[in-house]
Amino acid sequence: MRLTLRALISHGRVARKMGLGPESRINMLRNILTGLVRHERIETTTARADEVRFYAEKLVDYAKRGDTDEKAMKMASFWLTEKDLVPKLFNVLAPRFETHSKGYTRMARLPNRENLDRAKMAVLEYKGNPFPPLYPVKKDNELTLINQLLRGYREDRAQQLATKA
Amino acid sequence: MATRSACRALERRFASAAAAAAAAAAARPLVAEVRSQRNAVFSREQARQRALYPRIEKIEVSMQGPGLDGTLLVMNRGMSTPLSCARHLTEYHVNNSVLALVDGEPWPLHQPLTDSCSMTLLTFKDSDPTLANQAYWRSCAALLGQVLQTAFKDDYTVELLSTPEVPVTSGAFCCDVALDPQLDSWTPSEESLRSLTKGAQQLIHKDLPWEPLEVAPSVALEVFSHSRCKQEEVEEKAAQHPKGRVTLYRCGDHVLLSAGPLVARTGLCSQYEVTALHSLGQGPWGLHRRAQGLSLPLQLQAHHTVWRKLRQRAEKLVEVSRLEEAAPPSPPDSTPPPTSQ
Repeated sequence: MRLTLRALISHGRVARKMGLGPESRINMLRNILTGLVRHERIETTTARADEVRFYAEKLVDYAKRGDTDEKAMKMASFWLTEKDLVPKLFNVLAPRFETHSKGYTRMARLPNRENLDRAKMAVLEYKGNPFPPLYPVKKDNELTLINQLLRGYREDRAQQLATKA
Repeated sequence: MATRSACRALERRFASAAAAAAAAAAARPLVAEVRSQRNAVFSREQARQRALYPRIEKIEVSMQGPGLDGTLLVMNRGMSTPLSCARHLTEYHVNNSVLALVDGEPWPLHQPLTDSCSMTLLTFKDSDPTLANQAYWRSCAALLGQVLQTAFKDDYTVELLSTPEVPVTSGAFCCDVALDPQLDSWTPSEESLRSLTKGAQQLIHKDLPWEPLEVAPSVALEVFSHSRCKQEEVEEKAAQHPKGRVTLYRCGDHVLLSAGPLVARTGLCSQYEVTALHSLGQGPWGLHRRAQGLSLPLQLQAHHTVWRKLRQRAEKLVEVSRLEEAAPPSPPDSTPPPTSQ
């Protein structure tokens, strides 16, 4: 092959390298995906979470085909190293995302890891999990003075519209 | 000759006019005199109540609240107020506390504590600020009453009638007043409402504290000896109170009567406007007028667009049902005010 500089510069290369090689990368992602299916919310480095996201969603798409499908079962048994999670995938996760067409996972950044490496961490979860939300919704207090005045104003307007109509 | 008779006639006319004026002035005591007399009686009663505790006795106040649970403060009986407890904590507590809950009872911030108790400081941003809101509404109405009392010239009498308890959702606080019969045909223009607002803003800027004082009805009757209407109000309030005592408040020079606890000081209000003065018809004390206003505290300021909308609503007359037990939130009258702005 031509020994050009282009082989060394990685401008525009989108595929990530992880671990010792492509096989190692797939094995790592398999382990992370198994953890995700078991716990439904996991913390890893940002790069790994981003990689796993694609595979997690594809896995759910396969699971939606149903466990009678040959290909779906093969995929599930390959990707989930702990075989007790295969029924969970087909009976819990697939029905949960029946109405969703895509976007079964959510990723959020975390503070960097405390170790020397200070790695960028992220949390990855399947939507609809039983834990408290990652972005808690802060509701305005209805009883403050200004909110009570606005409530009276709104009721007044509704009444006026009702009498006009 | 002619000049002398003319002079005599003029003298007689002037003398009669002066005599009439003097008689009128003597009949109606000067406003400044009334104010100073009320102030003197209030100060005397306050000094007397303070002198009931000649030696310093200590009481234990346990604070409740976010971050404060179980803090024990050792304060003086009859001298320390919830405000002094707040001063022991932080500046945030001093600036933001509106009212204190002492053993579950609403307690004005400047009233001295008499027993060991557990205390919570209320602010406008609590999870349940209903008591604070009501106290704030009452204080704004009291401020409006004070402004009206001092706004008119000394020739005109102003009778402050009892301020009705209005819920916050009605959109405006009201102060009932009966003006001099000479002003019966007067309707306030926008300029006069604005000058009333300016008077209120001056009081707010001075940051005067509302000093509470719990007195026996006889002292209250002495304070309001010049005003028959106020004396009747004192008797009404004394009848309603479980112990038969009446709470007076003093702000600067002005002594007033109030149904419930008031806020700590005038500086807590930031946006304050006098929105309207409606005539309600003839009553026992003259033409009943209802002055209405809108205000928001320093911690809850509104954007000017929101303020404008709320102010427009506050110009409408607020109907108050005369039920004592439960004041149902009556919808405000949607007819335009009878007086021209």
